[in-house]
Amino acid sequence: MILASSLSYTYPYTQTPALRDITLSIGAGELILITGPTAAGKTTLCLALAGILHHELGGVITGHLSFQGKPIAEYDGMRELNTHISMVFDDADAQLIFTSVEEEIASGLETRLSTASERVSRINEVMNVCDITHLSERAPYALSGGQKQRVAIAAALAMNTGILILDEPTSELDVHATDTIIRILKELKNEGKTVIVVDHSLEGYRGVADRVFELKEGKIFRQGTFDELFPDVQGSMKALYDEPDLTPYLHKETEPIICIQDLCHTYGNVQALCGVDMKIYPGEFVAILGENGSGKTTLAKHLNGLLRPDSGKITVLSLNAATEPIMTLVRHTGLVFQNPDTMLFADTVEEEIRFGLDNIGAQNPEGRISDVLSMVRLDGQEKIYPRHLSRGERQRLAVSCILAMEPEIIILDEPTTGLDEEESDRMMHLMKSLQNKGNTIIMVTHNMRIAEEYADRIIAMDNGRVTGDYAILRGETS
Amino acid sequence: MSEILQYIPGASLLHRLSPVTKLLMVILIVAMSVLTPSLIFLGGLILAIFLGAVLSGMHREIYNQVPFLIILGLFLLLITTLTVHGGETFFTIIPEGIPVIGGGLPVTEGGLGLGLLFTFRFVVMILSFQLFIVTTRPSELVTSLLAFRMPVDYILMFLIALRFIPSLQLEAKRIHEAQVSRGYNPGSGVIGRVRSLRPIIIPLVANSLAKTQVLGLTLDMRGYRSKKTLPLHALEFHKRDGVALFLLAMVILAFIYHHLA
Repeated sequence: MILASSLSYTYPYTQTPALRDITLSIGAGELILITGPTAAGKTTLCLALAGILHHELGGVITGHLSFQGKPIAEYDGMRELNTHISMVFDDADAQLIFTSVEEEIASGLETRLSTASERVSRINEVMNVCDITHLSERAPYALSGGQKQRVAIAAALAMNTGILILDEPTSELDVHATDTIIRILKELKNEGKTVIVVDHSLEGYRGVADRVFELKEGKIFRQGTFDELFPDVQGSMKALYDEPDLTPYLHKETEPIICIQDLCHTYGNVQALCGVDMKIYPGEFVAILGENGSGKTTLAKHLNGLLRPDSGKITVLSLNAATEPIMTLVRHTGLVFQNPDTMLFADTVEEEIRFGLDNIGAQNPEGRISDVLSMVRLDGQEKIYPRHLSRGERQRLAVSCILAMEPEIIILDEPTTGLDEEESDRMMHLMKSLQNKGNTIIMVTHNMRIAEEYADRIIAMDNGRVTGDYAILRGETS
Repeated sequence: MSEILQYIPGASLLHRLSPVTKLLMVILIVAMSVLTPSLIFLGGLILAIFLGAVLSGMHREIYNQVPFLIILGLFLLLITTLTVHGGETFFTIIPEGIPVIGGGLPVTEGGLGLGLLFTFRFVVMILSFQLFIVTTRPSELVTSLLAFRMPVDYILMFLIALRFIPSLQLEAKRIHEAQVSRGYNPGSGVIGRVRSLRPIIIPLVANSLAKTQVLGLTLDMRGYRSKKTLPLHALEFHKRDGVALFLLAMVILAFIYHHLA
């Protein structure tokens, strides 16, 4: 159905090719997984297969790409291709354009189905497949990440094209939401659609993907069936916090650095935290593990005063975090948010770090800046515009901005979202070394693998409550 | 979070009116408010809009705007009294007794009147427009704008702008929290405040721009590029539309009578 031979592509205004010598063929009804590390060319390959490179983006294209036996460049632009191919982009929020879920799905249909009853039945059908019928009247911004992604898939499905391309549909989702998406993909395959999905995580695709392409630096590094390529990878979903096989945590005798008692917090009429008790001791590396919406981030925001408890007590060091001004708390608890782009605003890396230092009136800013930059391995990049850094580098810069303020406690909110395995591990090694220097590390995450691999202690949360507290014992090897 | 200019589902009278009727009413009401120099007539229009809001249970939306409207009104009054002079002088801001500059900055009947006129006009425009948006489903909004022969591109632009208001509010809140966590402390005074906006505005704009490519490509994939006009949904008119338009006609008659008399 899709045939590429020696396809290479270079984006406008860049030198290095994003795709090199791609040769592949995809048959009708296949479910193809494209995987590989960040910047391997996965998204570019999606754009190529959708015809967007040829018809929208420009740049230098060499080699051959055809769809149903006809070169993709010879189609009459996206207006013809979009009747055959639909694509779901990785930024779910940006592709929900209308003000309610139902209209979002209806938006593409008006030119395709002439009668209102046909449109209604198609809308109901795809909402049913994606399990979003109950959301039909809701506004897109008020949905969770997984719901947004499902609405975007439903809107693409409504177009009833033979090919569906999805770019990282699960990157920000927790285990259950990912599971739902993969189940939907499986159903689509059974209906005979050709599905091409990009994911840097392999979990859940064993037995689902017919073939896998692994990209590296723009090339097809390996291809084959899932079992051929990844015989050892845990290819099924793993939610250890459902059935933890871990040792219960034993509290220490020492004075805790953070002490939370009976903490409650309500947003409007949603109870986000309810009766949370927690003691964290100096020098620990704690992972707070839970699904999206379990209250992890809400809890983290209480530790530096961004949120105040409705009831209950929080003591951080010897400060009362319920009343102490934020300006005092942020000197002791450094909170790094999930997306580094929510904070990067300066013209240079150096200036970015200096912002926090100036805010707290730190001594010897130059020394601190060069120290933290070498710590996060960004030395030599002082004068670079922060937004030109790669995603992994931006994440490390965001961490260094907080580290420079030298807080005793470092809190990371989903530090590995959007990072591939290599970058995630680099980030975790950095945290390990900070722990060895005496910092207390708290990591909020839904990623069981990194929690298990790096933390000393896992606190599980669900529905605004602490549901488990476990020690990770690593024996002699660590 | 309070939502700005978002459709509120409901089944009130205003919700059930045809979107074309509502748009026509908004256009004519705004036109009358621009044309009339009469404060009494404008006051009547404001009262009518309030009545409509109460009837459709949307009065809370209107009340939420009151603080903003008061600030806007005071600002307009300040500008006009300082710049426009005419008619009787009530008093001068700088007392007569002070040498050289004494008797400066007079507050006059003309200045005050014009300020009030502008304020009332803005109140009419803002409230009627808001009432239209919050009671009209976005797809019906599109239908009504198409009925007035608006180009599809502009309608989409308008719709997308409305859709992204709450997303931007959320994003701004997230950015604010991230900067506060770095010890960000908004400065005091006007200059300090403006300068301290930079850490918030730059990520907000940069992140929004980053979304535009995906947004554009999504529209392409859904076939909007080839769409020159959207097919019109069957426009339905009911008796209530007739009644509403009849009431509007009465207001227009009152407008004409008021200005001829």
